Amino acid sequence: MSYIDWGVLIFTLIVIVTYGIYKSRGAKNIDGYLLGNRSLPWYSVCLSVMATQASAITFLSAPGLAYSSGMSFVQFYFGLPLAMIVLCVTFVPIFHRLKVYTAYEYLEQRFDLKTRALTAFLFLIQRGLSTGITIYAPSIILSTILDINTTYTTLVIGGIVVAYTVYGGTKAVSYTQMLQMSIIFCGLFAAGIMVVHLLPGDVGFSKAISIAGKMGRTNAIDFKFDWNNPYTVWSGLIGGFFLQLSYFGTDQSQVGRYLTGASVGQSRLGLLMNGLVKIPMQFLILLIGVLVFTFYQYNKPPVFFNSFELNKLEKSTYNPQLNQLKKDYQKAFEEKQVEVNKLNAALDRQDKPAIDQQRIALKQADEQSKSVREKVKSLMLENDPHADVNDNNYIFLSFVTKYLPKGLIGLLIAIIFLASMGSTASALNSLASTSVIDIYKRLINKDATEENYLKASRWSTVIWGLVCIAMALYASKIGNLIEAVNILGSYIYGTILGVFLVAFYLKHVNGRAVFYAAILTEAVVCICGYQKVVAYLWLNLIGCLLVVLLSLLFQGLLLKRKLNIEN
Amino acid sequence: MESPKRGQDLPPFVKSWTQFYWLLAGWLVFLILIFYLFTQYFE
Repeated sequence: MSYIDWGVLIFTLIVIVTYGIYKSRGAKNIDGYLLGNRSLPWYSVCLSVMATQASAITFLSAPGLAYSSGMSFVQFYFGLPLAMIVLCVTFVPIFHRLKVYTAYEYLEQRFDLKTRALTAFLFLIQRGLSTGITIYAPSIILSTILDINTTYTTLVIGGIVVAYTVYGGTKAVSYTQMLQMSIIFCGLFAAGIMVVHLLPGDVGFSKAISIAGKMGRTNAIDFKFDWNNPYTVWSGLIGGFFLQLSYFGTDQSQVGRYLTGASVGQSRLGLLMNGLVKIPMQFLILLIGVLVFTFYQYNKPPVFFNSFELNKLEKSTYNPQLNQLKKDYQKAFEEKQVEVNKLNAALDRQDKPAIDQQRIALKQADEQSKSVREKVKSLMLENDPHADVNDNNYIFLSFVTKYLPKGLIGLLIAIIFLASMGSTASALNSLASTSVIDIYKRLINKDATEENYLKASRWSTVIWGLVCIAMALYASKIGNLIEAVNILGSYIYGTILGVFLVAFYLKHVNGRAVFYAAILTEAVVCICGYQKVVAYLWLNLIGCLLVVLLSLLFQGLLLKRKLNIEN
Repeated sequence: MESPKRGQDLPPFVKSWTQFYWLLAGWLVFLILIFYLFTQYFE
């Protein structure tokens, strides 16, 4: 990176942090520190909710996915607007009316203390571990791109987030997220314009999408019902709905964001606007990936986008085989380019039979390139069984650093830092809220002063921050930790959602029934997961359904027992 | 960033929250339709 890019990167980070700290100064009580005195307007809630959900990987993976398999990923978000409606009808008014700090606080009012403590504890384990990965995942990518040690990128991301979250609490999180999202939108828009600008003179925006479309990259909609395909309209609407509902309804990192709204209306409007904007935003990010794909039909892409893994292979004994594959790749690219030019001419003539013919020829040429890439990946695994052979996250950044002008590279690298910081800050704030409100204030020190709780919140943020940074540093030592944490999330999310659904919709079920149902469910889910009975993503659904069914069963048994005793 | 008044709890452009929910559901259907046309046109 040039000095200009480093300047833009450092300047952007300093502006964001200074702005957040300046706007959030003077939190005097726990309400101000954890919920911003419940005073924020809808647009702040909306941007904060979006920034919390959009981690750095969102902005790196989505264009990469569009490049390699098309735009079908957009369907994953189709359940989100429907989940927002259910949240606004059910969750938001209840949380606001009861003036809770955390979602789990509500469970004590609805059920009992032990159910609250259990769900809070499960959340702390899941979120505490996954936040380390939220820092680690972009750190390793940035370290590859910037060619610096992962430890430094981890410490920079983690250190900055901890500093402003500890100082300004939830307001600092919301204000920085507002600015972060604005910069992210501007940066991505500029990147999109630049990709079109870099295409050959006779290939405009519409033709670039046409070329990608003929090669199967504009597949935004698939109405086929297929259990094994995660990206169809139906899996997005049904599966996505439950996933988004559990995330936004029961995960304190999101609940804490919309509880900062000044009223039920402001929280609702923030969430509904998120429902309006999220899908078009994701579509546009994927469209950038499609444009990058067309760009690489005219400019030879690297045979593998993760330069760290490629360098490792070049230095190994497999280098002669790699060189042969590079030659094959060059040949496949040249053949493909001939076909692309023919398609371009056919599109100009509007010659439909020729377009159809070229579509088939191009798909075959594309398959040839893909086959060479697969051979390179196999070689990488032969050389190192732990090699990371998925280079989707590197496609967009590799394009950015190689082809975009100075200054814009710095801005786009800053976006990755900002996106990571936004979701990490919300997570730290939610971990502190849950630790202080649900554990410290409720179980350890009930009658302390506001000042004491404020101090405890700050210390709790520091401790969780250090734990998450340590997790992120440790993650680099263990290859499969990311998957392990994802699996752990699936063990826990379903159970918590089940408890909340019982709380909202099954009014006759009491705390005892739901608590034992949750414990038993967790045991069953752990056994199913350990024995690998189903793929781990299904554990979410199993956990949720099992809590609901067992709660009803236990409630029935308890009622029967009570009647027997009375008789 | 000014805090809005607590009484301002109605959604913009429409008369009730229920209408806003329908608007959002309608937006989702519209997006699916537009994306479908996009897929058909460019493929």
